[in-house]
Amino acid sequence: MISLGDLWTVSIALSGLALLIMAGLIITRLVAERRQRASRAQRSKLLPLLLGNVCDTTLLNLRREGPDVLGQLTTELIELVRGEERAQLVATATRLGITDALRRRLKVGPTRARVAAAEVLGHFPDDHCTAALEEALDDRDSGVRLAAAQALASSDRAPPAQLLIERLRLGTTEHSMLMVTLLGEVARERPNEVRALIDQDEVPAPVRAAAIEALGSSGDYLLVGVITALALAANDDTPELPRYLRALGAFQHPAALPAITRGLTSSTWWVRAAAAEAAGRIGLSETAECLRRMLDDGDWWVRFRAGEALVRLGGPGQQLLAETCHCGSDRARDAARLTLAELAIAA
Amino acid sequence: MGQFEWHPLAMAAATTTAWVVIATGLLQIFFYLVQLVFAAISLTKRPPVVRSSMLWCRYAEQAPPIAVLAPAYNEEVTIVESVSSLLALHYPDFEVVVINDGSSDGTLQRLIDYFSVTPVNRYHDLTMTHQPIRAVYANPRIPRLLIVDKENGGKSDALNAGINVARAPLFCSIDADSLLESDALLRAVRPFVENPDKVVAVGGTIRLANGSRIAGGRVEKVCLPRNFLALVQIIEYLRAFLMARLALSHMQALTVISGAFGLFRRRLVLEVGGYSHGTVGEDMELVVKLHRHMRDLKRPYRIEFIPEPVCWTEAPEDLTILGRQRARWQRGALETFAKHRDMLFNPRYGRIGFLGFGQVLVVDVLGPIIEVIGYVLIPLLWAVGLLSLQYLLAFLAITFTFGIFLSVATLILEEVELRRFPHASDLVALTLVAVVENFGYRQLSNVWRLRGLWQFLRKHQGWGQMTRKGFQTA
Repeated sequence: MISLGDLWTVSIALSGLALLIMAGLIITRLVAERRQRASRAQRSKLLPLLLGNVCDTTLLNLRREGPDVLGQLTTELIELVRGEERAQLVATATRLGITDALRRRLKVGPTRARVAAAEVLGHFPDDHCTAALEEALDDRDSGVRLAAAQALASSDRAPPAQLLIERLRLGTTEHSMLMVTLLGEVARERPNEVRALIDQDEVPAPVRAAAIEALGSSGDYLLVGVITALALAANDDTPELPRYLRALGAFQHPAALPAITRGLTSSTWWVRAAAAEAAGRIGLSETAECLRRMLDDGDWWVRFRAGEALVRLGGPGQQLLAETCHCGSDRARDAARLTLAELAIAA
Repeated sequence: MGQFEWHPLAMAAATTTAWVVIATGLLQIFFYLVQLVFAAISLTKRPPVVRSSMLWCRYAEQAPPIAVLAPAYNEEVTIVESVSSLLALHYPDFEVVVINDGSSDGTLQRLIDYFSVTPVNRYHDLTMTHQPIRAVYANPRIPRLLIVDKENGGKSDALNAGINVARAPLFCSIDADSLLESDALLRAVRPFVENPDKVVAVGGTIRLANGSRIAGGRVEKVCLPRNFLALVQIIEYLRAFLMARLALSHMQALTVISGAFGLFRRRLVLEVGGYSHGTVGEDMELVVKLHRHMRDLKRPYRIEFIPEPVCWTEAPEDLTILGRQRARWQRGALETFAKHRDMLFNPRYGRIGFLGFGQVLVVDVLGPIIEVIGYVLIPLLWAVGLLSLQYLLAFLAITFTFGIFLSVATLILEEVELRRFPHASDLVALTLVAVVENFGYRQLSNVWRLRGLWQFLRKHQGWGQMTRKGFQTA
């Protein structure tokens, strides 16, 4: 236990130690500044060589001169270029053994460095890199796991979607919106795997919603029935319900009518708003009267979406808006009048 | 001549006073040390600070729309440059809502002329109350820009009007003189993308642009200022953002997101009634209201802070203006503390009641009063023989040497983890400042805070005059 008298000594010792460390850091920085100048010069020398066709002997010599600079510059360039140039750089980097360093970095070091290593390794198609990335799917850090999965998925090397969900703990401990991007990447080459996730009850609801969003641009209209069924089965306050409705809106298929109609009368504002938006996007004229009533909704966002949807319904919808301008409640009149005015449509 | 013998009661009173001062000081230091440790942990776990292009690849697809709310009052000289720089932000889907808060100069006309905007109709929310909106302006060729002209009502009133008009699920509130990094929104949105169900607000690191080279509303070259007060404030900002806010965010007890840059979920801000009127600490109060709301609803949530610099601001370089600013900050903290005092040590509010409000109590409410009492009484009591030397040394340790340790330790953290100061010479200058600021500046700062307390007790309103020097442009 520190006594009162020791406080002074402890504080002096701590301040002294901090100043000593700071002095050390300043000296380190001076050295680093000198090295930085050298590495800048090295980079300018290496850049044209890497972008041109240079023989391996020259590159191996350059690597001996500054392996770190070469590694860093190569990975930076790989991220910047596309197509043949990227393939050429990847081949060069593999020959130079840069992937060995990246694989090591993926295993050891701070999270940020491991995530960066995973992202770069995604560009290297060889078996060693694939194995390293697959191993990283079980990393202790969720960010590294997700980065490794995305790296694999972007080059069509991801494990089956079901397995990916289990290893990444998607929908249970991992809720990142990046799972939509990930499933989208998987769906690009293997849409059926992602499609299968939607039908499985044991798959967590957020993953199913993400799978639906990932397949949103696929144009697979068979999904409309599945999503409609999911939306009809969901509780009113299910967080995924608006996502289902928005996905139905994206498909723009009238078969979604039952789910949309139910959503329009939901007791939850965000479901009503999503349903109104979807009704407008699909052009469900059957919902026009309901949308008109929603112009008097207690929530501004619902009123806004209802007005927007009525405009999207074209002539009949705009006619209803014009009528509401004269005969609705104050709230509905305002919503109708301003919606039309914003689009410069005469009431 | 025999030594004067004090009455035992006088000795006891002196010893008790010294103990109160020392114990409060030690408690503050304990808070800071814990924060230092948590900040270090948080920094090692932070996600990679990647280049903007990589941020775009990683987050753009899932990044939700953001409305940037920029309140402006008499900003005629800088408004066009500020808005142009906001329109050039790198983010997939955003709108810039400039709220002219009844400026008496040509702010609105400058905007109308430069951006060729005309009055438009806009159907907007009316949930928040604020001074009437006179007109909304837009130009179809600049679809991201919306200008709201309203009657004067102050910054919170202007922001509330902006929240009503905004249609994005997230809004970013900034100060009129904030300079944003071009990728600020992409960096700040990360917690919302990675934890969409829980994150309700995100704050970012604010840095001082004094001395740096500015061009086109962006910081082009980071340089240290030559003005001593601005240099001291760099150390203060490091302690506030790199240490305190990062650590408190890691502990989920962050009570402040700076008004210069904050990203919020619009819907939740509407639920808590937006920014409060009649307080100068509206930024702190909003965060506390969000904590209270989410705790009352028993909904899991997170208020995050990102260590990356997202915004630059101008620090006062004049004692009078700085003093006014610090008194105002103190008044703002006290107003929020008083308004939400039932949250203090209330188990219903968990760590925000104990850690967040506990820290405000020790550091902001009691800290300045007791420290100033210490400056007056402890040397005096020692001089007249009522206290022994060890009390005086303990007091000096708390007010000077531990202060040096904490400032230098924060600088070490910055250099080890972030390295944002470009030259070794910058580090030398800042180390010197970290030592020197404890002798004179720290005491002066406490006096300003006491002035803030006095203003709070007298229910003083208003911001006082804030004169801007203006950014040094290239």
